[in-house]
Amino acid sequence: MKFVVCVKQVASLDEEFELLEGGGVDSDFVEWELNEWDTFSLEAALALRESGEGEGGEVVAVTVGEQEAEEALLACLARGADRAVRVWDESLQGADPLAVARVLAAVVERESPDLVFCGVQSSDAVTGSTGTALAGYLDMARVAVVTALSYDAPSSTLTVDRELESGLVEVVRIGLPALLTIQTGINEPRYATLRAIKQAREKPLVTYGLEDVGLDAGAVGVAAGAHTIELQTPERGAGAQLLDGSPAEVAARIVEIVQERMSG
Amino acid sequence: MPGGGTLLQAAVKTRPVFWHLSVGLKIAWYALAVVSVLVFLYGVARPFYKWSRGRGGPWPPYPWRELPARLWRGLQSLLSHRTIARRDRLAGWAHRGIFYGWIVLFAGTVVLGFNTDFTKPVFGLDYFHGNFYLGYKEVLNVLGTVLIAGVLVMMFRRGVLRPRKLDYTRPDRAPGEVHLERRTYRVGDWAFISILLVIALTGFVLEGVRIAMSHPGYGGTQFGGWVVAQALSGVSSATLGGVRHGLWWFHGLLAIAFVASIPYTKAGHMITSYLSLSLRDPLAGKRLAVIPPERASAPAGYGQLQDFSPLHLLQIDACTKCGRCHEACPANATGRPLSPRDVVLELHEQSNVAIGGVLGGLMAGRLDGGGAQDDAVVGQDGVRTETVWSCMQCNACVEACPVGIEQAPIINQLRRRLVEEGELDPNVQSVLQTIHKSGNSFGERNRRRGRWTEELDFDVKDARREPVEVLWFVGDYASFDPRSQRVSRTLARLLDRAGVEFGILYDGERNSGNDVRRVGEEGLFEDLAEHNIAAISECEFQRIMTSDPHSLNTLRNEYPVLGADWQVLHHAELLLELILAGRLDVGGRLSYRTTYHDPCYLGRHNGVYEAPRQILRELGCTLLEMPRNRSNSFCCGAGGGRIWIPDEPGQERPAENRIREAVALQAVELFVVSCPKDVTMFEDAIKTSGNAERIELRELTELVEEALLPAEVAATT
Amino acid sequence: MSDGGVLILAEARQGELREVSLELVSAAREVAAGVGGRVAVAVIDQQAERFANAVGADGVSEVLTVTSPTEHFEAHVWQRALEGLIERERPAIVLAGHTIDSLGFVPAVAARLGLGFAADVTAVWWAQGPRARRGAYGDKLHAELDFPGKSCTLLTVRPGIFAAAPAGSGAAAARAVEIDLDGTARTEHVEFRDVAIGDVDITKAEFLLSIGRGIEDKDNIPRFEHLAERFGATLSVSRPLVDAGWMPNARQVGQSGKTVKPRVYLALGISGAVQHLAGMRSADTIIAVNTDPEAPIFGVAHFGAVADLFEVADELERALG
Repeated sequence: MKFVVCVKQVASLDEEFELLEGGGVDSDFVEWELNEWDTFSLEAALALRESGEGEGGEVVAVTVGEQEAEEALLACLARGADRAVRVWDESLQGADPLAVARVLAAVVERESPDLVFCGVQSSDAVTGSTGTALAGYLDMARVAVVTALSYDAPSSTLTVDRELESGLVEVVRIGLPALLTIQTGINEPRYATLRAIKQAREKPLVTYGLEDVGLDAGAVGVAAGAHTIELQTPERGAGAQLLDGSPAEVAARIVEIVQERMSG
Repeated sequence: MPGGGTLLQAAVKTRPVFWHLSVGLKIAWYALAVVSVLVFLYGVARPFYKWSRGRGGPWPPYPWRELPARLWRGLQSLLSHRTIARRDRLAGWAHRGIFYGWIVLFAGTVVLGFNTDFTKPVFGLDYFHGNFYLGYKEVLNVLGTVLIAGVLVMMFRRGVLRPRKLDYTRPDRAPGEVHLERRTYRVGDWAFISILLVIALTGFVLEGVRIAMSHPGYGGTQFGGWVVAQALSGVSSATLGGVRHGLWWFHGLLAIAFVASIPYTKAGHMITSYLSLSLRDPLAGKRLAVIPPERASAPAGYGQLQDFSPLHLLQIDACTKCGRCHEACPANATGRPLSPRDVVLELHEQSNVAIGGVLGGLMAGRLDGGGAQDDAVVGQDGVRTETVWSCMQCNACVEACPVGIEQAPIINQLRRRLVEEGELDPNVQSVLQTIHKSGNSFGERNRRRGRWTEELDFDVKDARREPVEVLWFVGDYASFDPRSQRVSRTLARLLDRAGVEFGILYDGERNSGNDVRRVGEEGLFEDLAEHNIAAISECEFQRIMTSDPHSLNTLRNEYPVLGADWQVLHHAELLLELILAGRLDVGGRLSYRTTYHDPCYLGRHNGVYEAPRQILRELGCTLLEMPRNRSNSFCCGAGGGRIWIPDEPGQERPAENRIREAVALQAVELFVVSCPKDVTMFEDAIKTSGNAERIELRELTELVEEALLPAEVAATT
Repeated sequence: MSDGGVLILAEARQGELREVSLELVSAAREVAAGVGGRVAVAVIDQQAERFANAVGADGVSEVLTVTSPTEHFEAHVWQRALEGLIERERPAIVLAGHTIDSLGFVPAVAARLGLGFAADVTAVWWAQGPRARRGAYGDKLHAELDFPGKSCTLLTVRPGIFAAAPAGSGAAAARAVEIDLDGTARTEHVEFRDVAIGDVDITKAEFLLSIGRGIEDKDNIPRFEHLAERFGATLSVSRPLVDAGWMPNARQVGQSGKTVKPRVYLALGISGAVQHLAGMRSADTIIAVNTDPEAPIFGVAHFGAVADLFEVADELERALG
């Protein structure tokens, strides 16, 4: 079995960030790490490969991102992915989920895996769209927001739990090939030691430009679904009245508010 | 020797060797002796072969040229019984008795054998008579008595006193599980001391029978035998002859069998423990092993016996089950499923099973078979993962061990493999990820590392930008924990006041890696160490100071292996220097009744016991010592990454145990600490143990500042 | 419906119309004028007509029904149905809820048809074209978006942002749209399962004390259970505590947990991920305590304190005597 796991190096913002003139964020205030959801989706792929049914399979980690995104790929290789692919082109700067999915689709098509794993969403953009858009480009069967999965080898079908709102779960069956977007909590992602991360540098990691995956220079612009005009700092705590003072004073105010609202 | 003229010979102050034995029996006797020696030698050689197969370190553990000096130093320790008598004087004296008794009786047999089998037949020289014989008998009688006394004390200890450390019940096994009580060890130990007793006693009885039969008249030098002989007066000579014959064989065969069995039983510690003691590493636990370049791509740490270093394989065979580590271990003392003794014994058993066959089984003390050298040592039937993770890496076990076993470093090696296999607490996993990402365990942006200085009314120098006298390595807790930040500011004010030119690294500093390394994440430690060494190397300074003993240990003992070469001080050492130089005039103004807690990594790991105590005296405080102090200090429970692992609810925390020890002191007011983690752990424990009314915590620095305040007030009025 | 206008995709599950459908009608009002004023609501269901009256709220010009061959939502069927609707009706703006069902097919439609697209938008308006606002960097920033060069823009709108329009009563004309959906299903429904069954029903609680990642240790849970008891509150949690296995699903507030509307919601150590806010933003009074002054929870809270939750918890215990 062959697995492609699509991952993202996400940005988290310091509490005291500064915006640049042009509308972006000063990179000094940004920290990068492998998207939390992707750690679960990678684990799902690795676990399935190790579970006998998928044994001997290959796990390929793919990302769209700049040089720094290789950290995310190394984290995947350290945990057990066999190969990694990074695609980048300057036109992908600030790309939206549709553009990213278009590029991923070009890579996945070349890999022709049995299963594609994506995280439900990324912690920075939180669109929840890239995986499903990718399935759309590939015309691939998919289930979104998966919280459990089991594979039945004889019938080549997966039985998965699809997490719905309000504590409801829908169990569905899906044949291969398929794409799943994986929700947090589905498994316990393994730890990658620093030694493993260093050794992961020995594993194959290729970097492609757009033309390497068969896309032309304008592909990203054509696929993009939206354009960001500007980033703004939200009006903070609109309506939130700030409770100042020592913890004791805060606690006293809370008790007061609760008593007032509960009796009223 | 002809059977006839025995009485005559006795009258000339000697005694017959092989008294009326036929030639056939003599041959049988020598044949048995030879077999015994061969079995002994095989038993000695076999573990050497086993140890040499360990891949995790060099064999021999040290270069050949260093070995004579080490063996000599080991012999000195052994002869003085320094390590054995420490913290257990009774056992020390009893062991001295057994040790010297056994050595001399053994030597006596060799001296006799030398006469009988070498000098007499080869050179016709027989020195076994006259005053030599009398002196020989005198010495052997005295030492035989000493041996018996030692054995009886040990038996009294085991059978009547029954100290907790000699209870072999395993804290890492639940009631009902196999090997819970280790009965075979109990039986083995009793057999060992009983055999010693029987050999010594039959020697005396034999002597007594001989005296009773021959009345040589100088019983004064053979007082042991003489006492027996008095009891035998009136027994007929024929009966005595029969008894003597039987006893001779019994005593002789027992001794021969005992010699043969030495390497296979508890008696084996005569060899392994001496070697282990000789090869002990004075920095064990203080400086953990780096992964050698040739093992860089192999799995880290110990997963199987073949991964062990030869030295550690030797050590796990050297355990005497004395239980001192069991007693000293803070995890064990607070009901966690860990005893360093049982980790070592478990590994020892696996190691013997790995030799294979009945021999291995016998040596393992269990006959249920077992695996080979490539079986995982950690598992449900081996050392359990929860055991490995219960350790606080406080080094109390290493410190307590009389034979130089490195329990904590071995546990650390087990952790390295568990980390690699992902068998770690999710909290630890996320902290490690946080440290990797942000360089500190608080998950704070590194740019905020120096933020604690902002509330000071002077600027703290950036040591990366200007030369300083003292480079202060602040550490995570003192940088980010709000309570410890207060201490850091206090320390900064003191240094400023004393006119010390000091600076910090600001966001150039990372977690020192001490706990990371003790958790077993060696790669991350290397990463952090490389970063810090590079950052510090860029600065101009004379000395490094830190208020964090954990950082101190790693900077002082571990970074040098990676190329650092600095003088590293703890703030207590620097403060004392400033006080003694008159730069901080504390003038004995305080009068608190205090007790001082030695942080594991300042005291045991780095031998700084006196500086903090002397400061307390300079301040005018009364110092009350807790029963467990200095090298026997009791861990607060935060070490070895345990601060990141949640305790099982309902269990006593080590810090609470320690606070109970402190409040038992007469009218104690303050619990003084000198480690940021101690501040957190004990302030919490004072509350949770319900002692907030009885004792308060102070960081040493805070007391120094308090002592300075009245002077200031006095100056302004 | 002629070219242009707004097309709303209503959502139903197990025979019930979901509230987000009527919220979308309110959202559509913000942009309808810019695209000719027409607002159509489409319902895809095995018996789509049954929802026609309800979705035909005030301001809805037309209700479109598409009959699904499957009893329950099926992502591939819905994808084809929405593609068919867009191809036939040629709307300028399509609005769907940012819901779990939508996550399974809406982005695929946008990808395949090359539409303008944004997910989880919190505001829409018209300024020479559709504009939308959504969170960036985990909601710490807002991004303003436009969709240049796109004749049709598909937006998924965050539930709970717009007030739901009152349900209609049949005033809007209904029209069935025939789209061939046979054979498009690629997954097979097995069953629905309620995983959030537990001893407490947090949706019925009047006063919820809710804890999140900020409590750090499993060990600390008893402390807050105790505090909740003293306070007369029911304890609820955010997702990370359920993921970690520290608390059962039944206690989880949020998109994948329960949606709650207590009189008072006291959040300790909850930063306020979008999914969590979706489950509690309609509480009457929200009080939040968090160390991070930028935590999104302060955006919905009525009262906020930037403080250490443990210190506040200790003081609450004390204040409650």
